[in-house]
Amino acid sequence: MKNRLRVLRAERDWSQADLAARLEVSRQSVNAIETGKFDPSLPLAFKLARLFETTIEGIFTDEN
Amino acid sequence: MLCTPPTPAVRRYNVRFIASMLVYAALILLTVWTFKHRPPTGVLAWLLAILPSLPIVGGLVAAGLYLVEEKDEFQRTIFVESMLWSIGATLTVTTVWGFLENFLHVPHFDLYLVFPLFWFVVGVSTPLLKARYR
Repeated sequence: MKNRLRVLRAERDWSQADLAARLEVSRQSVNAIETGKFDPSLPLAFKLARLFETTIEGIFTDEN
Repeated sequence: MLCTPPTPAVRRYNVRFIASMLVYAALILLTVWTFKHRPPTGVLAWLLAILPSLPIVGGLVAAGLYLVEEKDEFQRTIFVESMLWSIGATLTVTTVWGFLENFLHVPHFDLYLVFPLFWFVVGVSTPLLKARYR
């Protein structure tokens, strides 16, 4: 799923490892989500939205 | 699990799984030695023959607990995918080998090797599956 994670991270000057630590997941997980190869669960998507103070739709784009 | 610090759940899984496999190895040695030097009879022989397979349950419980305890859903997915790949590979290899034994009389594949084969494929497929997500 397409997303704005890379941009949102860059705005805060966070590395993938920084974001992974904040989400309590591995850096590989962040990379897989960011590259659109792994879709996060709804709870993790909400966690991301809260962390970036936006909505899930503000991060992820439904390609359909 | 490769190239990244292991999560607490992975560390617990490693300890539990390795402990199970050490007990497995020890019980195999004990059983082989006993049957060779002091062969039991009756019910005792049956119980002793089954004994080495009990740590196998421990290994599977360790895998189940890992899936319950791992908070990183991506790592959980990789583990489940690698086990699915291994189920497919193990069933295919053992079925093909079974037919080869029946029709071509190739060397016998002992069934107790199915479990190590399963985990070997899990170990090989895990880094390959992770590479797919890079």
